[in-house]
Amino acid sequence: MSVPFPHFPVRAGARYALIALAAALACGSALAGDAPPPGARLPHPALVLKDDAGHNVLQSGRPISTRQTCGGDCHDYDFIANSFHFQQGKTEMDRSLLSSHGIAAFNSSPGMFGKFSIIPNRQLTHAGIASPDDADMSQPEWLTKCGGCHTGGGISEFDLRGHRFGSPDAKPSGPLDPSYTIRDREKGTVIPWDWEKSGIAEADCFLCHVPKASRAERKKETAAGNFRWANNATLSDTGIVTAGVNGVFTYNRAAFRPDGTVKPELLDLTDPTLENCAQCHGFTARNTTSIQPIQHADIMRGTEKAGWVFNGAKIRDTESPKIVGKDHMNYPWDVHAAKGMLCIDCHFSPNNPGRMIQEDPKKNLRYKPGTLDPAIYLKRPDHNFARGNIPPETVNVTRHNTMRSCGECHEAEKLHAFLPYKERHFQALACQTCHTPAVHFWAYRSDDWGFLMDTGTSRVTFRGIEGSIVDPESDVTGYKPAYIPTPDKSGHMKIRPTNLITGVYWFDKTKGRPVFTWQVQQAFFESLPEGGEWKYRPEIVKAFGDQDGIVDIPQAVFDTPQKIELVKGLLQKYGGVPDPELRIEVVPWAMSHNNVGKGQAVKECTACHARNSMLNRPLDLNTFLPRNVPVIYGGKRASVINYQGKQPSFDNRTLLGPFYIIGNSRSTFVEWLGWLAVAGSLLFSLVHGGIRAWKGRS
Amino acid sequence: MKSETPLYSLHERVWHWLQALAMILLILTGLAIHYPDRFGILGSLANAIRFHAWLGGALILNAFLGAFYHLTAEKYHHFLPRMDDFTGAAVRQARFYLYGIFRGEKHPLDLDPKRKLNPLQKITYLVLLNLLLPFQIVTGVLMWGADRWPDLFDRVGGLWLLGPAHTLGAYLFLAFLIGHIYLATTGPTPLALFREMTTGEGVE
Repeated sequence: MSVPFPHFPVRAGARYALIALAAALACGSALAGDAPPPGARLPHPALVLKDDAGHNVLQSGRPISTRQTCGGDCHDYDFIANSFHFQQGKTEMDRSLLSSHGIAAFNSSPGMFGKFSIIPNRQLTHAGIASPDDADMSQPEWLTKCGGCHTGGGISEFDLRGHRFGSPDAKPSGPLDPSYTIRDREKGTVIPWDWEKSGIAEADCFLCHVPKASRAERKKETAAGNFRWANNATLSDTGIVTAGVNGVFTYNRAAFRPDGTVKPELLDLTDPTLENCAQCHGFTARNTTSIQPIQHADIMRGTEKAGWVFNGAKIRDTESPKIVGKDHMNYPWDVHAAKGMLCIDCHFSPNNPGRMIQEDPKKNLRYKPGTLDPAIYLKRPDHNFARGNIPPETVNVTRHNTMRSCGECHEAEKLHAFLPYKERHFQALACQTCHTPAVHFWAYRSDDWGFLMDTGTSRVTFRGIEGSIVDPESDVTGYKPAYIPTPDKSGHMKIRPTNLITGVYWFDKTKGRPVFTWQVQQAFFESLPEGGEWKYRPEIVKAFGDQDGIVDIPQAVFDTPQKIELVKGLLQKYGGVPDPELRIEVVPWAMSHNNVGKGQAVKECTACHARNSMLNRPLDLNTFLPRNVPVIYGGKRASVINYQGKQPSFDNRTLLGPFYIIGNSRSTFVEWLGWLAVAGSLLFSLVHGGIRAWKGRS
Repeated sequence: MKSETPLYSLHERVWHWLQALAMILLILTGLAIHYPDRFGILGSLANAIRFHAWLGGALILNAFLGAFYHLTAEKYHHFLPRMDDFTGAAVRQARFYLYGIFRGEKHPLDLDPKRKLNPLQKITYLVLLNLLLPFQIVTGVLMWGADRWPDLFDRVGGLWLLGPAHTLGAYLFLAFLIGHIYLATTGPTPLALFREMTTGEGVE
């Protein structure tokens, strides 16, 4: 797929420079006489770090402006920042788009912007806030909570109406404008945010393009509301900047050349490395034996939510954490990582001439010669990266299925000679079904916001680990995934392995959205802590506590309808929620990594084609699930929980209903009728023969 | 006492036993496909499916050759019931099996090379050879061709229809087979009819 760029202003000088750079990239090694080795690259040209006025920061001492440094004459900053990594759905706030993708109506966009997320139980800024009760997480609060990962620019730079913070037009539309306010969680009021004091978080190009980028340092500054210096903080480990007092960073002269440019070897600008992506998306490494995804003690999406470990090292060689049974795992965490593949090999910039898909299925062309000028790509690299579409993908919906599928790289037909009915299998099964048979890491299991712990927050459980996830001595047992149907690139439903995260939360039926955390806290606790512990209301202690007035974890469960009614009443009385409803939501977080090669892939037919098929594996959900409350799956009420057995488990029989799996699927009618016919024939023969024998007749 | 002319010609006997062998093996491999975790014969489900397909092909070929033989040798009339076969003769035959056989009564029909099948056999084979066998062949071939003619396969209902349909047919064949083998023991001696179908030598 090519992205047309018919018109855009590139100054002649810059254009020639870009073309020269592209030509150098293409020809540099040829000039040297040898073909470049795989992965070879030329260094990024030396650059001047500029402040927001376009002056060299070495002279001004002001924060780095990526808009001026990376933008300006070289890259089209606004084009780059007008992509999902920066906008998080703000540019796609289209109600019909949401409904066409089955996204619940209480979300404002197909992205994190305006989405209610079950894991933090928070909703980022949404439009149409009429009262303080409707305000949850505003843009400034989001930046302080999530700005460590989210890359600045876009919604970190512009308000809801598209005005750049700090510009003359940037003014709040009212006292509750979520672009200019923040909720005071202790007082329950909405107060203004001082953008002049915090500054703007411009797009943090360094977070992804500098191998030594420090997300941890960036997070410190965003969490402190020091957005202005956040991009500088990202460079903390490069030797270019040093943290000073009051959140101000200084520049190390030794890191700069006499001409005022920063030393290229220190900045080391490059395509995003595995480690760059890993800072936010989950654990990836080319080859390491120590896996610590909680390096920043906060969310690592892919790893926490599904146990993804994109690492080329063999599992057997893992030194930390303790992987149970690793001695038998003489194969890599991910076969693609072991082959040296990077995230951007699959999740590439769609207009990168070296990686872009150059086919046009509508015209039956497998190869459509690209006409994109490399200089155009260098000027305006599309940062809506190629991606697939796996559950619970409610984000970036307009870019689903833009990456190559497995079959576009692998000759699946030739590789599966042993497999009968290849096409049927390929049509019904995602490759991961056989090539990600198990996850050898831990992952989220449940997040229960229905009953708050005495920490004021939810009860979180993990699967695949015995002990705490931050304790390197915990035994990591891993888990076997569940299986769900998901649509592929062409819309066919395929069975795919998945983790399941079960959320319990309160839903405000009057407002048509989940109840905010601060409201649930008001219902459960007498007062918010001021340095002390959260204190349950007496009604909670009486109903859930033991004789000593302590609510222990095993008791903090909704095991009777009366307990649900009690909290419902407290939400009405103290939380300002007139009609609350306790709900369960089972969220699949499907597998696309942790792929194994043919040696470890599922090849035994009876793994699926049997009464006890792995496809019906009952993955446990949450030991403390309440009963007789609505269960949501895929945005709709669904019967996906089996309450029989030791603990509630996922029941995918209805979901997999459309798939007839030989050896597993049965028609009850046919089985009864068939065996009745066989039994009748047998019975007739036995009775008839018996009488003949008794009568002495041959 | 042995009859002068064999009741079943060599062609008929070979055809019968080949068909019986194919059917039994088809049922066994079919069970291995339907219950792969309980009837794990042939090493794997894939092997069972491949062998089942080959056997199905052999059965179709044998059925075709059998039909060709019976048509060209003008022996198809053995399988064609007369009107009486549906009424009086069938009742007499049923009465014999349900009552007379226990009292040592004589078989109601004298079988000879020109009249080899009793009325109940004719009715059974009429259904079996004209309905059940083609039904199994059509559903089986469609499933075999799922990768070859995917559009046709999906258009006729895919596995959700063909799988249970073919399975039901298989159960009915198994029921028939049990009854057929048992009734083959109702000759003068339990093995007499087997011997007759093997050697061609008739019995009285």
